[in-house]
Amino acid sequence: MNLLVFTKRVPATQEEEVRIVDDGKRVDLSKVPFKLNDWDNYAVEEAVRIVEKSGGSVTAISIGDAESDEVLRRAIAMGAQDGFLIEVVQEQQDPNARATLAHNFVRKEVLPFDAIFTGVQSEDDQFASVGGILAAKLGLPFVSMVIGIDAFEAGHATVRRELEGGLQERVKVNLPAVFAIQSGINEPRYVSIMGIRKASKVERKVFKAGDYQDGVANKIDVEKWIYPPSKGGATMLTGDADSICKELLGILKEKGVYQ
Amino acid sequence: MSLNVAKVLTCIQCGKCTGSCPESGKTPFNIRMIVRKQQFQREVEETIPWYCTSCGACTLRCPRDVKPSEVIVDIRSAFVEDGQVPASLQKALENTAVQRNPWGRSRGKRGAWAEKLDIEVPHVSETESKRLLFACCIQAYDPRCMVIPANVARILSRGGYEFGILGEEEACCGNEIRRIGEAGLFEELMEENTAIFQEYGVKEIIALSPHCMNTLKKEYGNLGIKVSHYSEIVAAMLKDGVIKPALAYDKKVIYHDPCFLGKQNNIFDEPRSILGAIDGLELLEFARLRETSLCCEGGGGRMFYEAEGTQERNSEVRVAEAIEKGADVIATSCPFCLMTLEDPATEKGIVVKELSEILMEVL
Repeated sequence: MNLLVFTKRVPATQEEEVRIVDDGKRVDLSKVPFKLNDWDNYAVEEAVRIVEKSGGSVTAISIGDAESDEVLRRAIAMGAQDGFLIEVVQEQQDPNARATLAHNFVRKEVLPFDAIFTGVQSEDDQFASVGGILAAKLGLPFVSMVIGIDAFEAGHATVRRELEGGLQERVKVNLPAVFAIQSGINEPRYVSIMGIRKASKVERKVFKAGDYQDGVANKIDVEKWIYPPSKGGATMLTGDADSICKELLGILKEKGVYQ
Repeated sequence: MSLNVAKVLTCIQCGKCTGSCPESGKTPFNIRMIVRKQQFQREVEETIPWYCTSCGACTLRCPRDVKPSEVIVDIRSAFVEDGQVPASLQKALENTAVQRNPWGRSRGKRGAWAEKLDIEVPHVSETESKRLLFACCIQAYDPRCMVIPANVARILSRGGYEFGILGEEEACCGNEIRRIGEAGLFEELMEENTAIFQEYGVKEIIALSPHCMNTLKKEYGNLGIKVSHYSEIVAAMLKDGVIKPALAYDKKVIYHDPCFLGKQNNIFDEPRSILGAIDGLELLEFARLRETSLCCEGGGGRMFYEAEGTQERNSEVRVAEAIEKGADVIATSCPFCLMTLEDPATEKGIVVKELSEILMEVL
């Protein structure tokens, strides 16, 4: 099995109070650390597990600036054999443009593959559509929300999709196909710093995004960054500790939380 | 043959390590057996090394200087290299790799504890002394522990003692990271902190956590920077009359020796002399005190990892003894001890305080 996995370096914004600057044109990420997109971590792990079991190779691909090399090193440390960076001059947010770029790259470089894995979505832009658009452009089946892989064999795969209501749907799909991997499908292995250092010795190839621009155009343009409107609903209790506790207890009893 | 392997081969299996281990008997962890397995290069079961709290009692008592607690670090390192790390520890390591603290809180907020303080705390570069107050991760972020740097800053200021901080430029010291077995990440943190110390010409470091002090002092190589625990500075200030408690503290206080301050760095007397300088305070002692202090089980990564199969927690044993001795307050001088002791203490209705909290109440 030859598996291609698209991985993205994203800002780790969960704990940050991200600030919008330049009158809504930009988000200040200057002090925000970056990391591998969480969903892609699961995708790399799943691909590596398949290859460890049945042979073949995993190639990690990243569209991004030179810094994105770090997610490729990480993927190699996890078990990928190759890392390809499609280096962009300017960050490409639009999922259509990203998917077109990915499509052009895969076709022009004539990369042999049995399947392409992406994360379900990226933590930063959350379009959750690059995988689907890429599949359509390649004329391949697309399976979204993959939460389990039961069989991955020559010509076909049997996988489970995560649905609402605690349900899963088992589907059989012909290969090659594109799979969007859901978080929780596995427990990604720990990648040690020493492991990443060793992976640095494996050569990563750098390709210029400018060479794969046929049809790459934004279909969505970000107009403005805005904060969500603030909602009311929080009640601030004031007074000394005794009166606050009494009032709080009263509220909890009234809401039926505490009897 | 590496130095550690050579040392393991000199082990005479006397069992003093297991005899002093806070995990032996109540968990499957048997440090003597682990060293034996290392002698024969036999595999150690993957769940076993994570019980170790890195308290250092085994290393302190070993008659052959085998350093069993370092043997554990080596075994853990091999598991880490292999990607076999318990999930909660994995999270702590990944958080540290990204945000430079095991809780994964925003690095940008590392200096937040100093922002709303009633005193001005300068950046270390703006100080004449180039004396750095090293805050530590848990004390920079945990709401319960954030009072510790704030209190120590106030106490030092009252004594006219100049110091500065690094704020968001400070990274995790790596003491726990090294003990979890992530040697590469420890190196990264050490290099990052060392570079920033050098950039600002830091001459002295006052560590607030015994864990930070330990690694900065003993594992960062020869930096030419004097590293102390704040209790050493404050004890001297009290002795010299630079600060003087104004109020009495009419309570029975029992002092819990943190492993990284006591056993591993021989700082036993300074915390006691701080408490002893307070009028009205009656100082009590645990039966297991100083070098034999019972580990709270917060070190060696155990703050982030709930070991399976443990029966009574050591912190519960400690709290029960404090109550039996008639203590009103358990005092300690380590944020991890504070956190581990406070849970069972709150349940039993006894108060746990960090030294600086008691001192601030009477200054």
